[in-house]
Order: sequence, then structure tokens, then C-alpha cells
Amino acid sequence: MTLAVVGASHRTAPIEVRERLAFGRAELPAALARLAAEARGEAVLLSTCNRTEVYLALPGGGDGAEAARGLLASRLGAEAAGAARWLYEHRDRAAAAHLYRVAAGMDSMILGEPQILGQAREAYEAARETADEHGSVVGPALNRLFQSAFSVAGRVRSETGLGRGAASVPSAAVELARKIFGSLRGRRALVLGAGEMSEITLECLRGEGVRAAVVANRTHARACELAARLGGEAIRWDGFDAALPGVDIVVCSTAAPHPVLTRERFRAALPGGAPRPLCIIDIALPRDVEPAVGDEPNVFLYNVDDLQQVVEDNLGRRREELAGAEAIIARGVEEFWSWYASLAVVPTIRALREQGEAVRRAEVERALRQLAHLSAADQDAIDALTRALVNKLLHAPTVKLRDAAGNGRGTAAVDTVRYLFELDPDAHPSPHDQETE
Amino acid sequence: MTQILHFGALGLYALAAALLGVSLARGSRTLPRLATGVLALGVAAHLADLAAYAGRWQELPLVGLGPSLSVLALLVAVGSLALATLGRTGPIGLVLVPVAAVVLAAADAVGVRPGGEEMAFRGVWFVLHVVAALLAYAGLAVAFAAGLMYLLQFRELKSKRFGAVFRFFPPLETLDHIGRGALLAGLPLLTAALLLGWAWTERFHHPLSAGNPKVVWGVLTWLVFAGALAVRAGGGRREHRAALASVLGFAVVVAAYLFLRVSTASSAGFL
Repeated sequence: MTLAVVGASHRTAPIEVRERLAFGRAELPAALARLAAEARGEAVLLSTCNRTEVYLALPGGGDGAEAARGLLASRLGAEAAGAARWLYEHRDRAAAAHLYRVAAGMDSMILGEPQILGQAREAYEAARETADEHGSVVGPALNRLFQSAFSVAGRVRSETGLGRGAASVPSAAVELARKIFGSLRGRRALVLGAGEMSEITLECLRGEGVRAAVVANRTHARACELAARLGGEAIRWDGFDAALPGVDIVVCSTAAPHPVLTRERFRAALPGGAPRPLCIIDIALPRDVEPAVGDEPNVFLYNVDDLQQVVEDNLGRRREELAGAEAIIARGVEEFWSWYASLAVVPTIRALREQGEAVRRAEVERALRQLAHLSAADQDAIDALTRALVNKLLHAPTVKLRDAAGNGRGTAAVDTVRYLFELDPDAHPSPHDQETE
Repeated sequence: MTQILHFGALGLYALAAALLGVSLARGSRTLPRLATGVLALGVAAHLADLAAYAGRWQELPLVGLGPSLSVLALLVAVGSLALATLGRTGPIGLVLVPVAAVVLAAADAVGVRPGGEEMAFRGVWFVLHVVAALLAYAGLAVAFAAGLMYLLQFRELKSKRFGAVFRFFPPLETLDHIGRGALLAGLPLLTAALLLGWAWTERFHHPLSAGNPKVVWGVLTWLVFAGALAVRAGGGRREHRAALASVLGFAVVVAAYLFLRVSTASSAGFL
């Protein structure tokens, strides 16, 4: 039984390659069915902007990974022959550990980012919904692998600080605002400038419950467009001073070559000073807010360097958590592998049990023919006695087989048991014979 | 047994404070939870200690300096525990738990045993007076802790220092809510305590003069409460002013107590 992952990520392939390897949601069923058929195993395909990976479980061993390599190479068209340099492959324990790291965000471009866990769930669900002629392309092995990956990722997030703190400039803005206001639910925000950064920051703020957003932009139509899209209110550029007293957070991201919010303008808008804490996030370059505004009472002014400092601090602390996260991953891999290896001995255990039961039943029937004078209760007692005997005799071999599978000695143990109990119809060489050979 | 419980509670408070200090330094996520657990054990030991005291002396631990301080320490610790568990603001214990530990240590130093003058008129009014007053003082301690942390966090945010205080301390507004809530709850309790005390002494023909240390300290504390709430009126940096007033007010109340205590050293009572 083999477990394998073949793929390319931001660590091995440039964006031009990654975007060609990426699979759309609609392409997944056909690709998964092809993979499962060619590899003769289970398959899950994880495709995000930073990685495309094929996870395979191959019950018959074999080299199904070639099918995955072929599928990915075929996406590169003329460059298919050189695809190998972009691709990596991990097998067995390393493959499980890789998925766990991916799901926990440890292999992400931004260390500890949480989105990848949702994307892994979506990939798994998409594969579960895909079926070929043999049924779903996800069987017990990948089912268990992905479920355990989600569980391990959850433990990494809850037991370490890997996901703590903001890891992007917009989320750092939210973190700072939350340190001032606590909950942002019901807060009012004023956004100056309707560019991409404004939009992303506003989305983050609204995600935290910011109730009303007032958007001002030199091009009023653009302000209206952004306000409509994110559920805010657009105001004229010249009128943003009047909005200042009513807001808690100001996000500035205009392309103006000079400060649009000077100390004079601020004092004119708020003659008595800010009546309550006012958080100003200036993510424009050049800066939109004169630094002196930050000296005003009750004003907390942060520029893009401040936000970047928060991000760097957080990422540094996340890196310090990697050792703890790796320990959780290692435990998860061993737990999974113990279960996965035991799958190999299941057919042998089943055959052993069936053989024991067949022998028992035949012997009981033969004995009862000679003991026909016994009452039904006595016959039942004999039946129960023999069943208990067989169960007790087979208990130790069953447990030892499972233990051996967990310790990596499953194949040898299976061979021995099948030889000793003659479980294979054909003659089976003994382990000793194998060693001799 | 009482001694073991008492020192056990003191040790657990000290351990909880140390764990919170390490959490601040390391930015640990798990240690504050452990600190809350240790604090809960400390509160349990402290409660058992006071119950044992009541059983042994056949009276509530409300008379005399040592017992009163011990109950005050318990109330401060319970406040910190409630904020950590219900309000999810465990870091405030960084200030509150050491306060509880220091007050309990002071109780140990003066001796936790019945003291003060024999009063034939102890009864429900006396109990209500003392309990309401101690609850109000505990509220002032909470307001002090919240105010101190507010000022430190405010300074960090204003000066763009995103270090241990920024990460570990609760948000400004949360600290402000805690401080305001503690004062709003404490002021009526202290008012009730003062009125009960006055009515009680009048009822039993032991009226206190205006210069009595108890009266001076009680009125001063009431003024601190009222002042810390009054500075919230008006515009500008209301929250900042209120935090500063809470910190300074607490310092004034403690300093005044120590001064009055020293000047009336013969008394074995609370003051």
C-alpha cells in the first residue's frame, strides 16, 4: 500500500507555471476520474493559486504517481517534457506529513494563513462527490488522511501560536483597531480613496462587524461603486471633513502626492479635538495624513511602516512556533500511519478468522451428529464453547498482526501467518524460504 | 490547618501572578489559562481558610484588621477570577492578583485573629456595613488595575510600540468599561456602607466625630469614587482622564489609610 503526493507549489514553481497547473472547480471531476482510473487507487486534487497537488492512495502499491506526473505535465503543453523540475513527490509518511503541513498553513506563502485549510476541505469534498465506475475516488485511506489532516491542522492552530496575529497589512490595520476599540461591531469607518488597498482593508473591517463605511474619492463615481459593492455610503471628496466627527476609524489610501489630511484641516473638522478615540490607518504612499495629526489627543495614527512592523513581529513569532507545530504533525503522522499500516493486515485477519470459523463449524457439526441425544441447550453450550475457544486462540495472532503492521513489520508477519495457517490456496513460501532466496 | 490554607492561598496567588508575568514576557497563550486555574485554586483555599476561621472563632472574619484584610484580598482575587473567566480579560490579573497577594500578606503580617474592641452591638447592620465597604474597596482596586493598564496600553498605542504590553493587555475600550463598571458598582456600595455605618453608630449611641479616622477615610474614598466618575464628564480624553483619576485615587486612598493607620496605631480594628 502506497501513499503519494505529487505537485508543484510556490516553493518549486514560478507563478507562470502554477497558473497553468491550476485546475478550475469544473475541471476536477474529469481529472480525478482519470487519475483514479490510471493510478488504480484513490485520488484528491488540491489546486489553489499557490499549489496544485495530487494525493494518491494506491492499495496495490504500484507506481500510480506516474499518472499524477502525467496529468500535471499535460497541463504545461509544450513544456511538458521539462515538467519534472517543477514537481515534487513525497511518499508514505512524508506524503502524510506534507498534507498536514499544508493544511496547517506551514507550507503557505504567508506562514500560518488559515485559508488553505478551507481550500483543502473543498478539494476533499470535491473528490468525495466525484465517482468513477468503481465508486467514489476517495476511499478509506484518503478519507482518513484528510480527516486527520483537518484535525491536526486544528490542533496546530489551537495549541500553538502559528495562526496568531495579523500577517498582512489590511489585517494588521484591523488588529490595531481592535486593540483600541475591542470589538469593531457597530463602529463607523471613513475610507479616503477607492483603490484596491482601500477595498481590501474595508472588506477586512466589515468582516469584523464595522457597521457603516463612508467612502470619499476624488472621482465620485468610483466612490459610489465601492460603496455600493461593500455596502457603504459615498460622499463627495470635499465633504469628508464633515464626516470625521462621526467616525471611529479612518482608512486613507489615495494617490494624492501630498497629505490630504493636515493638522489644520483636522482641527478645523474637530475644533474640540477628537471626542473619543480615533484610529487613522494611512496606507497611502506618499502618506495621506500629516504626521502631526498623530500628536492630537485621542488620535492613533498608523502608516504603512507601522502596519508592516506589526506583520513582521507576528510572522517572527509564528516562526518561533514551528517547532511545536512540527511535534504535533509528527504525532499525527504516527497515529495515521499506525492505522494506515494496519489496513494491509486486515485481509489476512479476515481470512484467518473465516478459516477458524469454518473449521469450528465443521467440527461442531461432525461432533453433534454423534451427540444427537443432547438437548438443544447442551448443543448450544457446545457451540458457544467452541466459538470462545477459537476466538481466544485467534486473539493473540490478531493483536500481534496489528502491532506488527504498526511497527513496519506487517509484511513479514502477514507472510508468516498466511504460511502457518495455510491461508492462501496456492502454496506459499515460508519467510525462511524467502530469506534463503 | 487555617495557617496551611492561608499560606496555601498566598502561595497560589503569588504563583498565578508569576505565571501572568511570564505570559506577558513570553506572549504565551496557554500560561494565562494556567494562571486562571491556579488563581481559582487560590480562591478556593482562601474561602476554605475563612470558613475555618468562622468555625474556629464562631464569628465572621469581619472584625479586626487581619480578618478584614483577608476578606478584602479574597474579594479582589474573586474579581480578578470573574474577569478572567466571565469577561475573558485574564491579563488584568497581572495587576489585580499581586494586589490580592500583597493585601493577604499584610493580613498575615498583622495576624488573622479576632481583634478590635468588643462590640455588643454587632449584628446584621454591622455585617452589611463591612461587606458593602469591602466590596467597594475591591471595586476601587479593580478600577485601579484597569486604569493602570489603560494608561500603559494607551502609551504603547500612541507611541507605536507593538511589544509585550500591546499584545498581552486587553484593548483600551475593554479596560475603560471594566474601570467604569467597577466605579459605578463601587460608589453605591460605598455610599450604602457609609450610611449604614452612620446609622449603626447613631442607633447604638456611639456616634463618631467628624475627625474619626474611619469617617475621614470613608469620606475621602467616597470623594475619590465620585471624582473618578466625574472626570468622565465633558469632552476630550475622558477615558484617559478617568484612568488617571482611578490610579491616582487608589494611591491617595492607600496612602491616606497608611497615614491614618500609623497615626492611630493603638487600634486593633480595621482603622
